[in-house]
Amino acid sequence: MTEELQDLSFLVLFNAAADAMLLVDSTGHVIHANSAAQLLLEYTEVELCSLEVEALMPFRYRQHHRQYRDFFYNKPEKRPMGYGRDLFALSRSGKEIAVDIGLSPIQTQKQLFTLITFYVAEKRYQAEQALRISEERLRLAKQAAGLGVFDFDSKHDVIHWDERMREIWGGDSSESISYEKFIDAIHPNDREARQAALERATDPAGNGEFNLEYRVINPKDKVEHWVATTGRMHFEEGYATRLIGVARDVTDRKIHEKKLQDERSETENIFKQQVAARTASAIAHELNQPLGAISAYSEVALHALQSGLVDRDKLKRALEGCVLQAQRAGRSLHELMAFLQKGELVTEKLDINKIVKEAVDITRGNGFGDFHTLLNLDPDMPAVLGNRVQVQKVLVNLLRNAVEAMRNANIPYSAITITARTNKDFNMAHVIVQDCGPGLDAETAKRIFEPFFTTKPTGIGMGLAISRALIEANGGQLWFEPTTNAGASFHFTLPFAP
Amino acid sequence: MMATVFIIDDDPAIRDSLSLMIEQENIAVETYENAESFLAAYQPECCGCAIIDVRMPGMDGMQLQEVLSKRNIILPVIFLTGHGDIPMSVQAMKAGAVDFLTKPVTREKLLISVRAAIHECEKKCFEISTHQEAVSRLSELTDRERGVMLLAIQGYPNKEIARHLGISHRTVEIHKSKIMHKTGAANLLDLARIAHEGNTDS
Repeated sequence: MTEELQDLSFLVLFNAAADAMLLVDSTGHVIHANSAAQLLLEYTEVELCSLEVEALMPFRYRQHHRQYRDFFYNKPEKRPMGYGRDLFALSRSGKEIAVDIGLSPIQTQKQLFTLITFYVAEKRYQAEQALRISEERLRLAKQAAGLGVFDFDSKHDVIHWDERMREIWGGDSSESISYEKFIDAIHPNDREARQAALERATDPAGNGEFNLEYRVINPKDKVEHWVATTGRMHFEEGYATRLIGVARDVTDRKIHEKKLQDERSETENIFKQQVAARTASAIAHELNQPLGAISAYSEVALHALQSGLVDRDKLKRALEGCVLQAQRAGRSLHELMAFLQKGELVTEKLDINKIVKEAVDITRGNGFGDFHTLLNLDPDMPAVLGNRVQVQKVLVNLLRNAVEAMRNANIPYSAITITARTNKDFNMAHVIVQDCGPGLDAETAKRIFEPFFTTKPTGIGMGLAISRALIEANGGQLWFEPTTNAGASFHFTLPFAP
Repeated sequence: MMATVFIIDDDPAIRDSLSLMIEQENIAVETYENAESFLAAYQPECCGCAIIDVRMPGMDGMQLQEVLSKRNIILPVIFLTGHGDIPMSVQAMKAGAVDFLTKPVTREKLLISVRAAIHECEKKCFEISTHQEAVSRLSELTDRERGVMLLAIQGYPNKEIARHLGISHRTVEIHKSKIMHKTGAANLLDLARIAHEGNTDS
């Protein structure tokens, strides 16, 4: 046995080795290359034997390698090369092969040879191990996030999916499912929305994103799940081919949202009931006041007639009071109806500057004459689109409020500034009515647009509420802005005519 | 003094119609559009009653009642309200309101309330004036005379009073005669009444 072994020369063993090996002389030239090395590096032995070792490594390592080679020859010892760095061998076809390299000095009497061994299998194992770790990490992350992964092959109408997806969809253990079966598990009411989302993602002009929440009914246990999916469509030559993405079970969140929604709508209902109760109470008050006066006036008249002590002036006053109060009640009702009803709006092109001047004239004509106006109107203002009567009514109402506020505060010089200009932010006509009265305190400012809120003794409290409704019906906005100087300033916008 | 009804309501039609109604009964009426202007115009010696709207801008009816009571104004209050607010009416009555009427109020109900309120006011006014008269009469007495009076109205005979105060029987008689003269009391019983009315505790 020993004799037989002695017959086995170095070269026989060298050639039989499973790992690729090169024998290199002290000048760095290859002397021998075993068959595994020839296979790995894609050279014949003859070709290899004319090469320096540097020719077998990527170009970027060659320059420094000669120095390393000198270090090794100065202190030859058996060791792995590269000290943990990633090493690559370069094949004849230019392929870089990840390898570990062992260096073994072989000292003969004449010279020093180096046996180079390439450990490819070990390196591959490490790479596979790294891949496994990476996959495991991904799997754990998916598990932690509750994510399922799907890959929809739209050419073959097949969906490849992972375990989590199968769990949600109640699928069997196979790696894929037909598109038809996949859709079957989706809630019938959500299929259309899903189809629409898919079509958007399929559109080559779009961004290919697929985002949707829909319900899945597990065919096994019939339990409904809400699923949030996010994916991206992949295109080949302009055609959508694959939709890859993740799905997550969001049932708990949906249930929570539904609960919140229910609570919110309940709160809203209570609020609406309160508003209705307050509205009814305010209507009652508005009608009760004139009714109370009419009742008293009538009894005064009746008593005068019954007692025979008729004072004609007082009788006249009582009956006139009846008439006025009945009319007041009617007017209140009309105003309320105007507020509550939403009739068809007839709009026309309006010159807002002209409307402002008309409104000032109307206000002056209605016994509100004692005020000065400062008109700050843009002469180049384009025409606005609105209902003439309604816009005028709003302006008159704002002017009246301003006059009353200044009169009640005994302002000696009552002046109202009316500004009309283009609001560039909204591209709308912007009108500001500013008085020099006492202004509004914060509490009043907060409530000023509430129906039936009033600071006036005989006010119904509908003026600003109606004004705001009218401006909004005309496509604009009406608001109050606190000003730094004294006085209240009301703003409204109206759209320009096209 | 003639009674006056004060109507405090922010609604001019209510003020006008109610004042016509009350004037028909030959009762004087004054109207105010808010609590502040009424308080500014009110004279303490006025007698009558106040008809106050619960719901007014500025100081409301309930706040006005509070101010009247703080200022010791004895004017009885009739509240007028748009709709019967029971908790509010209970609170108003507890605070001393004579009545809590709902608009529209009938002539009959209003006048009954107004008459009752005026009557109560007159009664209170009378009590106050007799009290004030007694106080002013008693204020003329000297300390010694006051001491004699307190013993006399408790029924002590002159002899006892003299012994108690350490003065002569004759001096007690002189004091008593001065007391009867200064207070205008007809007899001892009358003097006891005056002393009682003049007592600041009553």
